[in-house]
Amino acid sequence: MTLDTQFLVSLALIGATFALYIGIAIFNTAKQTSDFYVASRGVPPVFNGMAIGADWMSAASFIGLAGTVMVLGYDGLAYIMGWTGGYLLLTFLLAPQLRKYGRYTVPEFIGDRYRSNTARLIAAVATIIISFTYSVGQLSGSGVVIGRLLEVDTAIGTLIGVVLIAFYSAMGGMKGITWTQVAQYLVLIIAYLIPVIFMSLQLTQNPAPWISYGEIIGEMRELDRELGISEYVVPFTEATKWQFLALMFTLMAGTAGLPHVIVRFYTVATMKAARWSGAWALLFIGLLYLSAPVYAAFSRFILMTQVANTQLDNLPAWTEPWINTGQLSVADTNGDGMLQWQELTISNDIVVMATPEIANLGVFVIGLMAAGAMAAALSTAGGLMIAISAALSHDIYYRSINPKASESKRLYVGRLSIVLATVAAGLLALNPPGAITQIVAWAFALASGSFFPALLLGVWWKRANGPGVIAGMVTGLTVTLSYIFAAKYLGFTILGIIDTGAGVFGAASAIIANIVVSLNTAPPSQETLDEVTDLRYPEQIKYKDGEVWLKE
Amino acid sequence: MRKVERKKADAYFKYRTMMITIYLAIGFLVSYVVVFFAQELSSFTVMGIPFSYYMGAQGAVLTFIILLFINAIVSDKIDKKFGFNPEYVDTNDD
Repeated sequence: MTLDTQFLVSLALIGATFALYIGIAIFNTAKQTSDFYVASRGVPPVFNGMAIGADWMSAASFIGLAGTVMVLGYDGLAYIMGWTGGYLLLTFLLAPQLRKYGRYTVPEFIGDRYRSNTARLIAAVATIIISFTYSVGQLSGSGVVIGRLLEVDTAIGTLIGVVLIAFYSAMGGMKGITWTQVAQYLVLIIAYLIPVIFMSLQLTQNPAPWISYGEIIGEMRELDRELGISEYVVPFTEATKWQFLALMFTLMAGTAGLPHVIVRFYTVATMKAARWSGAWALLFIGLLYLSAPVYAAFSRFILMTQVANTQLDNLPAWTEPWINTGQLSVADTNGDGMLQWQELTISNDIVVMATPEIANLGVFVIGLMAAGAMAAALSTAGGLMIAISAALSHDIYYRSINPKASESKRLYVGRLSIVLATVAAGLLALNPPGAITQIVAWAFALASGSFFPALLLGVWWKRANGPGVIAGMVTGLTVTLSYIFAAKYLGFTILGIIDTGAGVFGAASAIIANIVVSLNTAPPSQETLDEVTDLRYPEQIKYKDGEVWLKE
Repeated sequence: MRKVERKKADAYFKYRTMMITIYLAIGFLVSYVVVFFAQELSSFTVMGIPFSYYMGAQGAVLTFIILLFINAIVSDKIDKKFGFNPEYVDTNDD
């Protein structure tokens, strides 16, 4: 294998997938605003499930999740359960009802349900801030992948991603994005599963890694015991039990509150389709999330048995590029010429990206892996861009600034705001400030302190009113940000809960504030109360003035 | 439009809410409760993996997926049982 062959194969695979995404967008050009924002509500649930999967699984999930689980051991599993459990809250408590309410965006639901323009604007601004910082992370991630695999500068990689997303999301809007995300899901899941299946065959002679990796875990426990280090599977070695629980809650509530995910449930026509979309989505997401701990176990086992305890000048050939880029660091601290396990420092990103080389799967799989990582980054960035554009062009421009805007004017503003947002995020991604990485890590805490309580009470408690939700969102965001600051910089923690678990306090305080203020101000109008009661029943039922009607 | 008895509509809502409460309770049990007792539950293994680790890595996610599919299937049945068409699309809805 020469470098040139690898370069050509990676380039061809990435080029082919890019051409596919652009082709899909051209074929699905948005012609009206309902195409642009909600794909005309015509997406079948299975495909919506795939699109939700791609929308949801970011570059960080694809590249970094398995590594996080490997480095943190049991404690990393909070991410697995938290990010999947969010779909329970979303599908059981929010998605079908939001679907029946039938708007274009999450801020629009909050504004109309609570009859408050202020609430809509707060939600729109929160959507823009959360989605924008999140997309900067995706774009810089795609820059790193393109840069490394095509051996070009990271900046050029980022720019390629920016041009591509700006082009296809502005053209197709939600309609185009939906079908590109379906294609991107298929690319990323195939790329993720092939290496782990081959690695399973090599290590355990069993093609089903999810079943076979138990024996590898067993062997690793022996190795850990011989080394006298804390065992891989032992809980709460990195943080307290309460931090684990708080982080898991924050990730769940944050997932259920992220606007770019919720809006995908607006692309179907019925509550039934929303429930099935949620089920399919978690199945498709589960294929990756169930495999991440397997990657983690296999990689750690290989590092322990094939890299550790070898002579420093006789390490396996695949380690060299990773050592050169500093992602694998080997320091012979005791100077005996041998590499001990304790002398190895491993970056999270290695686990998935190095697997094709470790398992010797050849140029095609390495190229596929690159295309998969790109698909994960682009699909999430595309969904985020739609959320930002909808907040700007629909919630702020159309609903607040120019309600008389014509259909074509609204489409134009929608497209323009996608291009501007993508370019702005791309420029920031060229040299991401440290703050961006931090805000991405806090996005879930912020969403669980703001959107989740507002949506939950909006759907399930009809007495909640405008002043209540404004107080709730402001209190939730304030408490979340204050706790993050206090935990991160002042060393103040409760029960060992650190900044990443702050959402639990944010959500609790937002719910309390919403309830207290709502009860002490005037109740919502009868019309609002009826609207919320209406959400209890299926699409076919209309509730009005205490009477229930069946539409035929 | 045809009028539906208020009692029937309320019974529908109560039934659906009860099912959702059950699903969420099961989801809570396999994630939060198992984590809470993680140390105690590490003493026995599933497929060679300590139970608490297995639940975090696979068991909870599998349970979530199954719960969502049960919900999708059962909800359609409940709709039909009450005489509602779950596939009804309101044409006035944009």
